[in-house]
Amino acid sequence: MQGYIVSRILLMIPTLLGVAIITFILLRMVPGDVVQLKLAGDGGNVAAEVIQAERARLGLDKPLLAQFFDWIWGAVRFDFGLSMWTGRPIIQEVLIRLELSVQLTIMATLIATVLALPLGILAAVKRDTWIDYAVRIFSIAGLAIPSFWLGIVLILVLLIAFQYSPPLSFTPFFKDPVENLSQLIWPALAVGYRYSAVATRMTRSTLLEVMREDYVRTARAKGLRESLVVVRHALRNAFLPVVTVIGLEFAFLLGGLLVTEQVFNLNGIGKLMVEAVLRRDYTMTQALILLVASVFVLVNFLVDLLYVWLDPRVSYR
Amino acid sequence: MGLTRRTFLRSSVAMLAATACSPTAAPVSKPAETKPATPPTSAPPAAQPTVAAQPTAVAPPAASAAQTPAAAAAPRTGGELQFIVGAEPPSFDGHRETTFALLHALSPHYSLLIRFNPDAYPEVMPDLAESWDVSADKLTYTFKIRDGVKFHDGSPCTARDIKASYDRILNPPEGVVSARKGSYGAVESVEAPDPGTIVFKLKYPSAALLTLLASPFNYIYSADKLAADQKFPEKNVLGTGPYKFVEYVPGSHWVGQKNPDYFVQGRPYLDGFRANFIREPAAQIAAIRGGRAQIEFRGFPPPARDDLVRAMGDKIKVEESAWIVTLIAIFNTEKAPFNDPRVRRALNIAVDRWEGSNALSRITVVKPVGTFVRPGSPFHRPESELLKMEGFSRDMTQAREEARRLLREAGVPDGFAFNLKNRDVPTPYEPSGVFLIDQWRRIGLNVTHVQQESNAYLSDHRAGNFEVSVDFIADYADEPDIQLSKFLSPDRSASNYSRYTDRELDALYDQQSRETDPERRNQLVWQFEDRCIQQMAYAFPIIWWQRIVPYSSSVKNYPVLPSHYVNQDLAHVWLDA
Repeated sequence: MQGYIVSRILLMIPTLLGVAIITFILLRMVPGDVVQLKLAGDGGNVAAEVIQAERARLGLDKPLLAQFFDWIWGAVRFDFGLSMWTGRPIIQEVLIRLELSVQLTIMATLIATVLALPLGILAAVKRDTWIDYAVRIFSIAGLAIPSFWLGIVLILVLLIAFQYSPPLSFTPFFKDPVENLSQLIWPALAVGYRYSAVATRMTRSTLLEVMREDYVRTARAKGLRESLVVVRHALRNAFLPVVTVIGLEFAFLLGGLLVTEQVFNLNGIGKLMVEAVLRRDYTMTQALILLVASVFVLVNFLVDLLYVWLDPRVSYR
Repeated sequence: MGLTRRTFLRSSVAMLAATACSPTAAPVSKPAETKPATPPTSAPPAAQPTVAAQPTAVAPPAASAAQTPAAAAAPRTGGELQFIVGAEPPSFDGHRETTFALLHALSPHYSLLIRFNPDAYPEVMPDLAESWDVSADKLTYTFKIRDGVKFHDGSPCTARDIKASYDRILNPPEGVVSARKGSYGAVESVEAPDPGTIVFKLKYPSAALLTLLASPFNYIYSADKLAADQKFPEKNVLGTGPYKFVEYVPGSHWVGQKNPDYFVQGRPYLDGFRANFIREPAAQIAAIRGGRAQIEFRGFPPPARDDLVRAMGDKIKVEESAWIVTLIAIFNTEKAPFNDPRVRRALNIAVDRWEGSNALSRITVVKPVGTFVRPGSPFHRPESELLKMEGFSRDMTQAREEARRLLREAGVPDGFAFNLKNRDVPTPYEPSGVFLIDQWRRIGLNVTHVQQESNAYLSDHRAGNFEVSVDFIADYADEPDIQLSKFLSPDRSASNYSRYTDRELDALYDQQSRETDPERRNQLVWQFEDRCIQQMAYAFPIIWWQRIVPYSSSVKNYPVLPSHYVNQDLAHVWLDA
């Protein structure tokens, strides 16, 4: 087990290095640069030498290889440098937004889990009844409706029916829970619904599969109540794929809800990434993509470890 | 064209914008305060030259900051103004940046030497300067500085600080960017003979000097702070303006609170302000409709204005003004057939701006028809003169026939195909591009609309990677020195993307810049435009923007001026109960 953990951790290094190299190259292939947009984007008639001087100040006049090594050397020391747009430390910019993104991810995961598990179980147990059909319609709708569109509808309903719009700024939960939830509950519902749809369908299908296993038949033959059969024997074994889905979705959300954050004007990682890309803020974009990739790799790793706890038959050598 | 994620999102956002403001049970009558816009069918008459355009006017304007602007009702003190800013300032340094986002967040913290008078734009009025004199030869401007002005840290603000700030703008030290350094070529030196006097000495007379000194970007910084670190203003806020800096949360908001020591007695009225950074128009509209914000200073397109009015009734009022922003069509004069002036002229002549104004002003933020100077500005030619210009005729049958004749002469009688590059900004770039393509189709041209994300668009402009493109002029003042500088030869203008060198045009620019007689200056400006638009047709204006600002009726004393860059210090704004 320890050997497995060490090898997985070591494998993260080439994975993240690959992400860093691809990101670096792709960003340089896109036309435009941050200086041009910053100094001439609003129509300013800025002299060419001013633009050149600013490019030099940001190190954009160096050879690409030198730029890459400068950046990657900083990254391995967790020094991601300064944003090319704001000149502020990237770590600081990310930390400002991380609390919101983490909280939104947790809220959406909670909503999704609370909805998905009972509904998935219910649909599997009551297979081909009206309950199953209702749950399937509910979950297919969740998959079909993009969360940002649902967000737009939520905003409209709040505006038109209640003349209400959510707060514009993020307030930490422990400072003012009501204000905090007033802002985040709506995007959490919009995102959590889609998330729950994926998890509901996975719970239903894996549970149905497990319910056909011999040991479930044996449990029933012993005379156990159906609820005990489901909870004690079937559910735990059905959890592996569900946990995988929830883990991947968690990583996806933590990496940023690019569109939903724009719709709800949330100051999260997703909005920061969109703005960084549009501004050609190379250092910021590279750092954020590396962060998102790291989260994915880490969550996948943790999910794999969770398998051992959920299913004693699983072991890594 | 396939449905891309971007297109889908944009459509959704547009849908939200439209739907968010759809009629509800709210009253449907338009508020009485809505001002009619400038009629598109007539260019406003040329106004009389102002103080800004007349350096010979030695007497300072009668109005003072303390007296201006006059409010109809008794102002009320207190309250926090919540407004929306559609972008964020890259840094806090006004000398360096060029974006409105900086001005909307930071102008309440700073003072200028002189500023535009919000009640009599484009006149200038004192700010830190109490008064000024201009020498008979128009080469020396002497400003008397207010006594007793303090920075927010309590240190005094004197002529020394003004000199240090202008030295930084005119001769930025190594590593400091001064975006508008090139505008002050006439200034030879800035001197501070005593704490209460600042003197600008010029190399030659400049008709534009006072307007340039009223630039809303020319914040006055502390000389001591600059001496310690010339980059101090990039990350710190220390001014003498009506509001002190409280908090900035990147990506979220900016907060200021009343400066009790502000040098204008009784100002500001507000306890403070909060600027909320919201990029998406739909979210901006939702914030105003939901009462989370009271105003977005740049404004909204007509459909959003109308829907907000329908939804909010008398809780919203609307002000409009011709805007000092225009879209222009530019040609890459190094690429055939656009290296032939006859082709360029044909494309200019074929555009029916008057009809375009009527049609486009219903859906987007354009309306006034004019040249390179804003209709209604002191430099704009009267309609009778405008109609004589190529491209401004109302007889489009004859104009299009003339355009076809020019194309025949140029050797392309059957028309040709080309790409029109444009910014992928829905308002007003996209509809304006579609409008141009339709106009050119009528003379047999086959044009493809190539829309690009802003950075790629700017990059292609600089690299000359286009045939014809939609470009823009956006400025803080009606001043030919600013508006026309773009069209100078490339060795003098980095934003001359048409890539022509025309020394005759350069000479006309210099002549108008040094001409201090308003009438003679106007003639020179018009000669410049005649050459640039008609004879050589390097570039031509499409339709000028119309600033439409729907805002909460609780906001008082914010006159909507032709520029969203000026009048942003919020010293005189107050909130009704």
